[in-house]
Amino acid sequence: MARYIPPKQGKMGQVIDVIVLLIMSIGALYIPLWLGLAGSSKLPVPADEPTWESLGQNAVMVERWTALGYDPASAHDLITARFDYSFTWGALALMVVVIVGYFALMLRLSEKEYREVIAEKFDGK
Amino acid sequence: MANTDITSKTMDGMGPHGTKVGLLRVLGPAHVWALGVGIVLVGEYMGWNFAVGKGGAYAALIACWFAGILYSCVAMIDSEVTSTVAAAGGQYTQAKHIVGPLMAFNVGLYLVFAYTMLEAANAITLGYLITVAADMTGAVEPVSDRPFIVLAIMFLAWLNYRGVLATLTFNLVITAFAFVAILVLFFASAPWSDGTMMAHADLMSGQAALPYGWLGVLAAMHFGLWFYLGIEGTTQAAEEVRSPARALPFGTLAGIMTLLIAATLTWYVCVGYLPWEYLGDGVDGAVAPLFSAAQLTGSTALVVILGFGTLFATLASANGCINDASRAWFSMGRDHYLPQWFGAVHPTYRTPYRAIIFLVPIALIFALGAPLDQVITFSILSGLLGYTFMPINVILFRRKWPLDTIKRGYEHPFHPIPAILLICLCAVTYFAVFLGYGTQLIAMVSFYIVVSLWFHFWRYRFVKRADQFTMPWPKPRGY
Amino acid sequence: MWPLIETGAWVLSALFALHMLWDWYRTDTTYSEDVLTSSREGEIEAMTEQHKLNG
Repeated sequence: MARYIPPKQGKMGQVIDVIVLLIMSIGALYIPLWLGLAGSSKLPVPADEPTWESLGQNAVMVERWTALGYDPASAHDLITARFDYSFTWGALALMVVVIVGYFALMLRLSEKEYREVIAEKFDGK
Repeated sequence: MANTDITSKTMDGMGPHGTKVGLLRVLGPAHVWALGVGIVLVGEYMGWNFAVGKGGAYAALIACWFAGILYSCVAMIDSEVTSTVAAAGGQYTQAKHIVGPLMAFNVGLYLVFAYTMLEAANAITLGYLITVAADMTGAVEPVSDRPFIVLAIMFLAWLNYRGVLATLTFNLVITAFAFVAILVLFFASAPWSDGTMMAHADLMSGQAALPYGWLGVLAAMHFGLWFYLGIEGTTQAAEEVRSPARALPFGTLAGIMTLLIAATLTWYVCVGYLPWEYLGDGVDGAVAPLFSAAQLTGSTALVVILGFGTLFATLASANGCINDASRAWFSMGRDHYLPQWFGAVHPTYRTPYRAIIFLVPIALIFALGAPLDQVITFSILSGLLGYTFMPINVILFRRKWPLDTIKRGYEHPFHPIPAILLICLCAVTYFAVFLGYGTQLIAMVSFYIVVSLWFHFWRYRFVKRADQFTMPWPKPRGY
Repeated sequence: MWPLIETGAWVLSALFALHMLWDWYRTDTTYSEDVLTSSREGEIEAMTEQHKLNG
């Protein structure tokens, strides 16, 4: 099998490749943050004039909150914020498809490239 | 390379050309242990407490132990493959030789992202610590954490650039200090006496026991990984270890046990001092939970010890992260997976200097611009994708090169049970991330899909084919 | 005191950054690209390891 000779990449091409990669990575990581879709979807439950009792805190907890410098009003958001773990089966299916699809795609393409490598390495002599 | 006999008893399959003229093998299991624990111990000082936020205090403990099982599988599998593939880039080189170029490209990116995001998280914690210190010493105006975040990243990048801090000793000392600090806090809290300030029963009663029910236990698995993330880096020391067959699995598993103890103690102390809602919110609540616990004890000595513990743990970890991330980026540049410009070595300092500089702004963007839990989630997701790769890797390794074809320094027992167990635990963790952080999960995997297509259809044309395979191995079965 | 420390942190960061940039520029203009990118797999590890052992 003939040896594969890769083309030489110029300075400009290298710079463009780096920029593309940067945009892709920072974009993918930051877009969910910008759109406000990112996780930590913890929302506090609003309440008027919360007291330690209405927040469900016992004596020891109250002592600790006070030591940390909180009063019921300032601790309220921390205490009542909860994740929303309800999900639709559709979303779960989407996740499974994306992850399994990703690994399947990658292993397939890798295998194709790998066969070339092995062929050139061991049969090319 | 033609006269390399892989099955010979006098020469193993290590290194790109066999190790007849080997590197000096001077490291023992203790060094391996220090390497691993050094990068990971910061996980006890920050970040793990998001697991409390996702499921409550008990859930975090269960997640911690299950994550321990996951990492034991990772360590066993990785030890076997690394005891044969001991060259540059760790798992990246493994993937290149065993699965294929595209997988290797992805694994390289996992490593870079996992370590760079961990570095950013370390810098955020450090910045927080300084602002608290300013508060406590009576600063008139609130101190901004930005200059300190920037300084930490710049300073460590500079050290790595100059190659000075490749010394294990410095990291070993500050890691040991950070570990001892946890023990000191535990014993100073005197959990056995009646006068202890810890109040587990009261703080974990009622709704605080399992606030999200059993689903919360699953969800907590997400940040449970944080207790150990990075321990798999130990195996990259394979080439310098005296007897890899003994030292690698021993050092790594001892590291995991140390972390298991440190993690359990950390959990025990923190949930005994802090209400779970405060502990579980690492952005507005306990950024550095052990430090917060020390503050509640009212003892200045403990505050100082745990403050320095946190500081040292973040520095040791960030230092290792810069080293590993830049090494992986450099390896990909050298193979032309990335522009070859990155494959440059500094002629005096012998460091991958361009890769080090290039990763600085990326770490800064995330340390300054993203909340801590998001940054940690990016790191965990990249790590998790890497752990999913490992069972695939070891199954293919055993199939392409059965035990009698390559001499291994270490053979992991009960194959393929650890691989299957690892895949199952990974699946559970994907689901745990999906609960609450589903968008990031999809965004991140979509990113890897797009980037894989870009690599396969564009970037791979610049890569020399046979040159990527540098190990003196026989032809794989089935090709 | 703290405003001073903040400014100090900025200045130090800038110094480290400038030193790296300056050294980068000097290295790239002193050596040819072929020399800089001549490393092969396994080689840089050997260097750092010796470094670790000596240091």
